[in-house]
Amino acid sequence: MKRSRRRNHNAVNAASLARWIVMTAFLALAGLSYVYLTLQLYHLGERRKAVENELGSLRNQNDIASAQIAGLTSHSALQRRLKEGYLKMVPISEANIVRLALAPQSSDEDAIQPVINSSGAK
Amino acid sequence: MNPNSRSRCVLVCTGFIGLFSIFSFRLVYLQAIKHDEYAGLAAEKHVYKQMIYAERGMILDANNEVLAHNAPVETIVADATHFNNREATIALVSHELGIPSRELAEKFDGERRYIIIKREVPAATANALREKLRAGNLRGIYFERDATRIYPNGSMLCHVIGFTDFDHHGIQGVEASMEEYLHGQDGYRFIERNRAGQEIVPYRGQERAPRDGYQVHLTVDLGLQNIVENEIDAAMAQYSPQKATIILMRPQTGEILAMANRPHFDLNLRSEGKPEQMKNRAIIDMMEPGSTFKIVAAAAALNEHKVRPDSSIFCENGLWNFGGAPLHDHRAFSNLSVREILIKSSNIGAAKLALMVGQEKFYEYIRRFGFGERTGIELPGEINGLIRPPKSWSKISITRIPMGHEVGVTPLQMTVAMATIANGGKLIMPRIVKSITASDGKSISSLSPVVLRQVIAPETAKEIGDALRGVVSDSGTAAAAAVPGFTIAGKTGTAQKVNPRGGYEEGKYVVSFAGYLPAEHPEFVGLVVLDDAHTSKPELNYGGLVAGPIFSRLAEKAARYLDLEPHEEIRKALPVQRVEKSPPAERGRKTAAERIALTNAERH
Repeated sequence: MKRSRRRNHNAVNAASLARWIVMTAFLALAGLSYVYLTLQLYHLGERRKAVENELGSLRNQNDIASAQIAGLTSHSALQRRLKEGYLKMVPISEANIVRLALAPQSSDEDAIQPVINSSGAK
Repeated sequence: MNPNSRSRCVLVCTGFIGLFSIFSFRLVYLQAIKHDEYAGLAAEKHVYKQMIYAERGMILDANNEVLAHNAPVETIVADATHFNNREATIALVSHELGIPSRELAEKFDGERRYIIIKREVPAATANALREKLRAGNLRGIYFERDATRIYPNGSMLCHVIGFTDFDHHGIQGVEASMEEYLHGQDGYRFIERNRAGQEIVPYRGQERAPRDGYQVHLTVDLGLQNIVENEIDAAMAQYSPQKATIILMRPQTGEILAMANRPHFDLNLRSEGKPEQMKNRAIIDMMEPGSTFKIVAAAAALNEHKVRPDSSIFCENGLWNFGGAPLHDHRAFSNLSVREILIKSSNIGAAKLALMVGQEKFYEYIRRFGFGERTGIELPGEINGLIRPPKSWSKISITRIPMGHEVGVTPLQMTVAMATIANGGKLIMPRIVKSITASDGKSISSLSPVVLRQVIAPETAKEIGDALRGVVSDSGTAAAAAVPGFTIAGKTGTAQKVNPRGGYEEGKYVVSFAGYLPAEHPEFVGLVVLDDAHTSKPELNYGGLVAGPIFSRLAEKAARYLDLEPHEEIRKALPVQRVEKSPPAERGRKTAAERIALTNAERH
């Protein structure tokens, strides 16, 4: 290149350019990240709300089912069913009752107490 | 730069500086000085305090059977500032909830931000409305989770359980007395909504989780309550009394095992209940107890060693003029022992026992038995009863009070007094709440028996108890109250009904029977009271003939339910074979033991 031409030419400062590019890219990335994260935050908020609603709905269904079970198994309901003939209860005669005298329990806590052998009972 | 240009430049710069200074000052003014005010205004516009309601605690019986619980419902509310199509919203809500359009239009008039449209809407209805609002893109209607109180047993135990108002505050029964534990603590959350009224979740503010109400466990056993309810219904059908009360109580602990009153009401239809049906007569009704009160006079005389159980008292052959007024017995008795005074229910004998004790001492014993003061049961509205001090007594009061006149007691007080005899002379506080637990089962409070005082010596209580066993014998006034297979002790009461305008009502009686079973080791004390029972013949309207048999039936079933073993000596006398099956011929015959039927079996 001729010397006169080189004198008129504005030299590009590569380091400065690179610095600007990096800064711009960083700012752009930061901006995009901010927007992305903000959107994610809203999105997760919506998800959280939906999950909360679903949980609430499940709790509601559970409570409704519990209420129905309590209603159907209540004393009054069973009494009604008994009167309607859905259930049949026969008084047990005294002759059919066998009463077992319970062994007196020792007041001493360390005394050997009779236990049920659960494995043996199977 | 010439001076002109420079001065122009300075001028423009000064202008800009001034302008931006004004902006800066304004900014500082708005952001710093007026911050709180504008932040408040902004918050008012966008921030809402969303309540998170605590779930009311359940009420359970002694065996954890549910007596009161909650069912989810929704409260539908509106924000009038959020409507985007008011007319369409009104039409839809009116159609779905069955509310007249005009009523809704009046509610939505103006800019109110919180309008309650309807409470206790079932979840299915609320969901249908929610979907239709979404489909029509209609805004301004919101749904709040709520709960309604459900009583699975309807009218059973209605006076004890009580009920709540619209705001879920207990206003009667255990619902009211245990309000502090049942209610829980509501939570809240500060939220922001966007223009469409939807919550902006990331902007959630301060939050406090709700604490659900505790569970209250009662001492009442629904099995026994069922027996009592069946018997009281049968009594209502048979005798058509104006009012009736039955109480079962465990004497050693004061636990109320069952309590029923008539008239009654359905807890799930409480709005239809009449005030007369809602009264828990066991604790708020005052009655003259009649002869059941004679146990106080006899106990006082025996405890003060004025007499012995076999001491002979002359009963004036049925008519005694004292203080210028005649006192009658229902039969002419000459000499009766103290024991026989209770067995035969002699008014004159009881009056003479009280006279031996003296006015002041007798009054002291009445009070020591718990009459004239609240028992302390965990139920609201209990009354003291009416016991006048001796200085207010007339000349003949000392002869009338021992037979249960001139005093006002509640059925519960009478039950507690009988329990004192059954309990070796110890007065115990009756209680209806067994324990309080958190929803995870952790115990919050467990109530233990409270012995208030030793009213009479254990020996005196035993002597009275022995006499009361005779009341249910063939020679006593309540032979019909006997329970096959068991020894029971009890006392009948027949009192003429007090006229609210003064004096007594002719031909109207309050009949009662208080007793306990088994007499040796009482498992429960029972009281049956019928106010103005209608019998086929007026002369049959006696405690022993009306209330006695009711007690017998319910005690028989209760003993069976509690698996009390029939008394061996009595059983031996009965044609019952143990273990071996009865021959077919004998099966048709109804033995005493067979009569002890299942609690749900029909009345015999």
